[in-house]
Amino acid sequence: MQRLPLEGIRVADFSWIINGPQIAQWLATMGAEVIKIESQVYIDIGRTNPAGMADRVAGVNRSGFYHALNYGKKAITLNMGNPKGRDLAHEIVRRSDFVLECFPGPTAEKLGLTYAEMKKLKSDIIMISVSLLGKTGLEPSRWVGWGPMACCFVGMFDAQGYPGGPPRQTGGTWPDYAIASSVVFHALAALRHRNRTGEGQWIDASMGETVIGQMHEWFTDYFMNGRDRRQWGNRDDVMAPHNTYRCKGDDHWIAIAVANQSEWEALRRVMGNPSWSDDAKFADQLSRWTSRDELDVHIAAWTRDQDHLELAARLQAAGVAAGPVLDSAELHNNPHLWEWGYWWKMDHHEVGERILPGMPVKLSGAPQLNYSYPPDLGEHNREVFGGLLGLSDAEIKLLIEEKVIY
Amino acid sequence: MPNHALRDLRVVEYAEMVSGPMCGKMFADMGAEVIKVERPGRGDEARGHPPYPGDVPHPEKSGFFLYLNTSKKSLTLDPATLGGAEIFKRLIADADILIENMPPGHLANIGLGYEILHALNPRLIVTSITPFGQTGPYRDWKGTDLIEWAMSLTGFNTPTLVDDVAKENPLRAPGHAAEMMGATNAAAAAMMALFHRDLTGEGEWVDAPCWQATVNTSKLEMAAYSYVGIPFSRQRANVQVGLEPLPCRDGYIYTLWAADAHWRALKTLLGNPPELANEIFDTHAGRHQNDDIMRTLIREELAKHDMEHLVTEGQRLGLTIGPVHTVAQAAHNSHLRARGAFVEIDHPVAGRFEFPRSLVQMSGTPPHSTRAPLLGEHNVEILGRLGYTSEDLQGLRAAGAI
Repeated sequence: MQRLPLEGIRVADFSWIINGPQIAQWLATMGAEVIKIESQVYIDIGRTNPAGMADRVAGVNRSGFYHALNYGKKAITLNMGNPKGRDLAHEIVRRSDFVLECFPGPTAEKLGLTYAEMKKLKSDIIMISVSLLGKTGLEPSRWVGWGPMACCFVGMFDAQGYPGGPPRQTGGTWPDYAIASSVVFHALAALRHRNRTGEGQWIDASMGETVIGQMHEWFTDYFMNGRDRRQWGNRDDVMAPHNTYRCKGDDHWIAIAVANQSEWEALRRVMGNPSWSDDAKFADQLSRWTSRDELDVHIAAWTRDQDHLELAARLQAAGVAAGPVLDSAELHNNPHLWEWGYWWKMDHHEVGERILPGMPVKLSGAPQLNYSYPPDLGEHNREVFGGLLGLSDAEIKLLIEEKVIY
Repeated sequence: MPNHALRDLRVVEYAEMVSGPMCGKMFADMGAEVIKVERPGRGDEARGHPPYPGDVPHPEKSGFFLYLNTSKKSLTLDPATLGGAEIFKRLIADADILIENMPPGHLANIGLGYEILHALNPRLIVTSITPFGQTGPYRDWKGTDLIEWAMSLTGFNTPTLVDDVAKENPLRAPGHAAEMMGATNAAAAAMMALFHRDLTGEGEWVDAPCWQATVNTSKLEMAAYSYVGIPFSRQRANVQVGLEPLPCRDGYIYTLWAADAHWRALKTLLGNPPELANEIFDTHAGRHQNDDIMRTLIREELAKHDMEHLVTEGQRLGLTIGPVHTVAQAAHNSHLRARGAFVEIDHPVAGRFEFPRSLVQMSGTPPHSTRAPLLGEHNVEILGRLGYTSEDLQGLRAAGAI
């Protein structure tokens, strides 16, 4: 029988929205028992955001935003504003290996979700706190904010944009996802350490600091040369051509990156060896890099009337690094993503058959990760309060009436 | 001496540039012994990548290389040669993890495919980081950070709020974001495989592609399509809640006014100017419908205030608002400094410089970086440990194996 890497590990998961749930999803799909502690008082807005509602019909169990980030977990409802609710949460923490939260500092303190408090409940607990800019330091450690604000703070949006233009925003909520696997790695290192020494610890993860690490060369350039790099377009420090070029249609594009002379020659062949490409200013990598803006004008003129998918395949067949910019439909139908095993189909009791993003890694020894369907609000109340905490049916009924389990 | 959580692990890294080396760095900074296998002569391609102090290229001075390879040991070795393959196999025999980012099939082509490595050391975890993964129609496609990034919705959506699709082509993120995402995913998955090995006694093969890693960072945008039927669009007119850096007197700020409470806080922050009192802005729907007018008015008001005032006062009012720093401003920021977000590392050739410290902070076993190795710095130490004599080394050097 297949075993999953984290069987026997339990996570008391107080997190919501994106970054915490993405961390917990790594742990859950890899076999940990993740108990997601929610409440109707403060419902995970992933469950209620209208932009995610299956077929535009509202319902707390119908949101694609929630489903995509929360399959594999158990969900309970517990009102942390009620002292009894807090006591029950503490009982779950006492039985867990990890505590996970992603509230702004003041909210986490108000809820008692601090390492100092958690350590009192279980001395070897590993607590994971995720926030905008960390939970120690100066005033910004108490700010409210979400992923993109971390990008702003550390220079990513200033560096994002067209040369000479204003700062622009990177797509999606990049830091929320970027921080997840970093946290998972370090949390598992902490688990190894605990298993060997019996010591728990606090992981204080700042989205801003993760992004700083990701754009290390911008900081290193500043520290080494005092250069404050601004909007950089698609320029690479070495490669040219290196850009996205418009293709046939309204908003279709192809990315092309040429790293060396043989790739340049291959690109020229696919272009039909146009006469402009004989010019000495495109002869070698350095001259192409120096003349990159002019080079881009020529290439863009060539791609403009071509199909982005077909052209990318043709360039790749010739040995040129190229890729089509894909829209939602093209991504969902992409043969590579299906064959590799990224997408999976879920048959859900409320929303029917849907396509969900699976894990972006594969382990040969665990071909089927835990993709149990995303839990309904409070679905595992009886299992967790009755089974794990040993409460009787009568006690659970009373707690529901008192809006503690709520 | 920092308390290293992974000090019992032995990792071999056969990788260049960003994805594999970043994964190796994460293990090395947590205390694992990471032996970096570098091409004899030239070494990791990253050694030829800027920035350099004073912009003068030097294989031991690349800031790019020096960050990605902290805390490692360097062994020059070409596993494609006979002698090199033998050394590689001896290294693998007592390693816990191999990290590699060669094109799919490369290891098999030089006689070091997964089956052979597994037979040699059944407990070995092979972590392969590639653009597209080990299977599927794009397996042999060439990928770079730009390609992997641009093929995701996150890439298509960069920059956001496009006014003119013809003029605003999709942009890569600063740095090597897609490759870094592949690296951290691979590191997390390799740790999973270690726990898996504790249960099963067996090593396994981890397949960590950078494209899938990047695709996975637009879950909401993808769900909006598969659940609601809203195709992704990067055009401003199609976006419900428009967020973007907005200019103020001395820079840019970033804020959100989707909720009514935020809108009221923003008006208070700007001193309740009569222009914004218009009741057409009082509801979310109204603000969306009149986005153009409202945005122009907000820009006019923001231009009257300084960044620091807007952010400090805005946060006090409960507004989600932050400064848009340049890299230099971030590098000097008092909060990041108070957190110790940067660490000074001395290097015998490159000199003493600051680098980003770690991706996350830990109270008990914090990541700790020591300087990156010189090319082949640990040849004698490692090969000696493997039982090679100085005579053997001369022969291997002559054959181009090390």
